[in-house]
Parts: sequence; C-alpha cells; structure tokens
Amino acid sequence: MSSNRTADRLNRILALIPYVLEQGVVDVEEVIDRFGYTRNQLLKDLNTVFVCGLPGYGPGDLMEAYLDEDEVVIDAADYFKRAPRLTSTEALGLLAAGLTVIGAGQGTPALESAVSKLMAKVMPDADPAITVDVVDPTEHVAELKSAAADGRVVRITYTSVGKEQTTVREVEPWTVFHTMGRWYVAGYCRMVEEQRTFRLDRIRELEETGETFTPPEDRPEPGVGYSPSDGDVAAVIELGPNARWVLEYYPVEVLSDDGETARIRFWAPDPEVTARLLVRLGSSARLVDGPEVAQRLRELGEALLSRHRLGPET
Amino acid sequence: MQNVVERVLNLLIYLLESPRPVTADDVRYTVQGYGQESDEAFHRMFERDKDLLRRMGVPLKLVALDEWEVDFGYTVDPDEYALADPGLTQEEKVALSVAARMVRLGGSHLGVNALLKLGGVERVAGLEPLGADLGEESDVLGELFGAVSQRRRVAFDYRGHRRELEPWGIAHRRGHWYVTGKTPEGERVYRVDRMAKVEVSEETGQFTRPDDFDIRKVMDGQPWEAGSGDEVEARVRFDPDLAWWAARTLGVAAPAEGEPLEATVPVVNKDAFLGWVLSFGAGAEILEPSDLRDEVVARVEGALEALA
Repeated sequence: MSSNRTADRLNRILALIPYVLEQGVVDVEEVIDRFGYTRNQLLKDLNTVFVCGLPGYGPGDLMEAYLDEDEVVIDAADYFKRAPRLTSTEALGLLAAGLTVIGAGQGTPALESAVSKLMAKVMPDADPAITVDVVDPTEHVAELKSAAADGRVVRITYTSVGKEQTTVREVEPWTVFHTMGRWYVAGYCRMVEEQRTFRLDRIRELEETGETFTPPEDRPEPGVGYSPSDGDVAAVIELGPNARWVLEYYPVEVLSDDGETARIRFWAPDPEVTARLLVRLGSSARLVDGPEVAQRLRELGEALLSRHRLGPET
Repeated sequence: MQNVVERVLNLLIYLLESPRPVTADDVRYTVQGYGQESDEAFHRMFERDKDLLRRMGVPLKLVALDEWEVDFGYTVDPDEYALADPGLTQEEKVALSVAARMVRLGGSHLGVNALLKLGGVERVAGLEPLGADLGEESDVLGELFGAVSQRRRVAFDYRGHRRELEPWGIAHRRGHWYVTGKTPEGERVYRVDRMAKVEVSEETGQFTRPDDFDIRKVMDGQPWEAGSGDEVEARVRFDPDLAWWAARTLGVAAPAEGEPLEATVPVVNKDAFLGWVLSFGAGAEILEPSDLRDEVVARVEGALEALA
C-alpha cells in the first residue's frame, strides 16, 4: 500500500473531524460532496475513527464516529478540533490556483481577498515572494470563457502557426485553457468541420455571431499535453550538447541518448515549425530523417540568407 | 493500510495529548498497534510512521529530556500542529474552490487538498470552461516554496554545478517555474525543472530578504531581456502578415494594415531573441546590429551544412 495514499487518507480524516465537530451534525450527502468521498469510503473512515483514541483504548477513551440515519456524528475528539496546518505544497497549490485565475483577468473581489488572507495568515512571509504569471494576451480569455459557458458561436480572425495563413472562421468554443505558458481554446471549427485547438495570442479579432450551440456532453478536460495527430509531420533529429534543451522544452520521443548526443523524433503540425527550430539550433543539431522538413529547411534557409547576408534593405 | 491508519491516528493523539515529550519506549508500550512487535520491527515501524507524519506536515520534534542530553523524547505542539484560521467568508471559500478546480499543478488539483483542511470544497455547479496547467514536479516545488516562506537556504545541482541559494521568491512564467534569490556570486534566477538533488536547510530564518524585493519586478519582461550580459539594442523589421502579432508581443502600437513594423528591442539574451525572431520564419529581418545579422547567417549555414 503506497504511503501517499495512506497520507491522503489520514489528511482527509484529519480535515473531516474538525469540520463535523464545528458543525455539530452534518448531512451525509454534504460530507460526501465537500470532502470528495464515496459513501463506502466515508463509512470506512468513520469506522476507523471509532476505534482510535487515547491510551487505555476503553469505551471512554475512544472517539465517537458514526452515521445516525443520514447524519454524520463525531464526538469525543477534542484534540482534533482544529485542522492540521497546510504543507508548503498544499499552500502553494492553493495560492498558485488563486493567483493564476487573478492573473488571467478572471479574479473576483472575493478571490482577491481570499488570496490576501491566505498569504497573511497561512504563509505570512509569502506575499512579495510569489507570483504566478499567465502570459498575455488576456484580452480574449474572458470573452471566450463566457462564450464557452453559454454556448455562443464566435467568429475569429486567426493566423495559423507555421503557414502563417490568416483566415476568418466560425468556432464553437468548448474549453479555454492555459498550458506550457500559452492560452488555448479548444472547440469545433465550422470551417474545417473538425475539432481544433487555437492559440489565443494568434486570434487577431474576435466577434460574436449571435448564434448558439449545444456543447458536447463529454467536453474535454482542459489542459493539453501535445499528442501527435494524423496530419503531423515527424522528423528524426540528432541533438548535440548545446541543443539538449530541446529535450526539456518540447514533448519529444527520445530514440537514443548517450548523455551527450540524443536522437529524437519530433512532431509538428507543419514542417515549417521544425525547419525554424533547426535554423535556431544551427550546427548544434542535425536532421537525420524527414524529407518534407529538409525541403522546407532549404527554402527557409535561402530566404533568410537572402535577407541577412547582405546589408539591410533600406 | 487499515492498521497503519489506526496506529498513526493513535500515535498522533498520544503526541498531541501528552503534557511532556515521550520516548520511543513510551510509544512502544503505550500506543495501540506497536506493543507486539520485536525490537527491530518496532523501530522500523516507528521510523516509517514518524516519516509519514512529517510528510503530512505534522511538526514532530525531537527534544532533549534532560540537561545532559542523554534522553530524547518526541513532541507535537498542538498550536503548531493546527492551521491558523484565515477567517475566510463563505463567498471567499467558493471563489477558492472554483480556482482550485480550474488550476492543475504537476497534473493534480493540489489546491483541493488545501481546501479540505479549510473546511472542504464548496459546491460549484458544472465544470468551468477554463483550465490552467502549471506543470512541474510538485514535490520539489512545494519544498522550495517552503524554503522561500520560512527563509531556509537551499543547495542543488544546476547544469553540472552545485549551487547555494538564499531563495527570495518563486515565480511561474511562460510555462515554467523559477526560483530567484541571492548566491555568493550575486542575484540569480534558476529554472526549477533543471534543479536536481535539492536540499533544504533544517534551520529557519537564515536570511533576510531586502525590503524592496518584489518578484514581479525581477521576473517582468521578455525572455531575451533576462540574464546578466550586456544589453544591446536590436532593430527588427516584421513583415505585414505578422506585424500585428509582433506589436502585441512587444507592447507597441500595431502598424497600419498592410504595413511592416520596425521595432527597436533591448536584448540581453541573444539566443532567446534569435529564437523569437526565427519563430517568424523568413517574415522578420534583423536590421541591426550586424553581429546579430551575421549570427542568423551562421545558424542557417550551420543547419544547411548539417543537412548536406
């Protein structure tokens, strides 16, 4: 049995007891909801509490914990009348969540005062020392979030990454999320008639169409790890010592790695993206396989050379 | 697990309720769940349980029982154990519950664990159509945050060297977590996912942070503005297609439709700057300085040579 699960279970018990003690009696459904229990888990934890207590461990020494009809009752547990303090990791998790939402321009006065109180009371020294920054632009986040919540179709002027084509398309936004330092919106694109993900910083203009849609029931959970799709182009690249940061920066498949040189498979929705990376890496990396990428790299290289080799155009 | 949970609850109650520090033997012969074990099994079990309590954040301390420091005992101060009530209103708890469900850290909704201790997660209808994933190994991050807020020194491996740092602040920027603070060589910023073998000092309050320290000021700015080298001014021309995007990134006014943008950009980290300019493909041209222009040529030639 993993000790993390033991710790989680103990933590939940130590949070549950003070809550019930303070409220007196609590409806079982509320406890299940509030502490993320299933009914069986809750019963099991109550039965555990019921057999623990002070040395002696006789009837008068043990805590009381049981289900009375549909109410949770806990008593004789005064030593647990206050919840344990937060660990640094928990405090950071909660503060970071609050600061992220505020940073995204979604903060409410209640959230801001909640974060200040946490900083003042729970982590008194944390205030000037933590910031969670969500990059610009935040201008479309609120509009898209509200459109996604209400099922309103939007029209976006979007410049794609790689091809740099600007198109105007109608999108049914499902979720707005932030990952790896960027904002995205996932939804159904009416132009290509498929599910697509768009980078918010590449949305130049956004307007309401006045139309509505019904969001799918299984709206995908926000958050993407990049996973290659059918249209993606793969390339095999050898990274020298100075190019090894790519391993940490991009989701890549490592084919071999001797600690100095690593061989990776790199996917991109457009070979142009890979070609640009290869230019940036210069002689510290080598394209091993990927004819489409090689072709684009030659074209891009020529174009860059013709602009940069001679004096600047005036 | 059932036995462990019961035993650790009993141990914690014993530690909280004992007026004096208790010895390992006291625990062994008093707390239910330990008594029947052999010496060796008891000690292994007790070590594991203490470790578990400490990881849960229980302030378990070992103190000398006599002036000569011959005997030692364990104690948990109930006031130190307990959460200081931040006095959150119902509305504030709801706001935190929404935020905690929207933001993930290290793949899990860590804020939710904290909310349980603050009285549970408030009911919020539906899943918010907004989510953020802050990435990163949460254990190391939590330790570093603890070091920042309790002012403990840290040591870690970074790019092949052992470093020592007074951690002043922690920041999330562009998808990565950073720790900033003072080293013997001056003020530095480190990326958390590149730190290895992190050790946090046992002592608290080891340093003072300058009164005017503000992490937002340290971390502000573009990636190519960070670093300790000399600053140069680069002039760049962005073609009309993406001029609006460049203008938005740089925080300058966008040119008229169909017009290119020429911008002056302060650069410290040349590699980060080149990376950004190259993200425009051939749609951007560095006009000045000439050594940065030459660098573009060198990189292209390097890449093309490797291809041949």
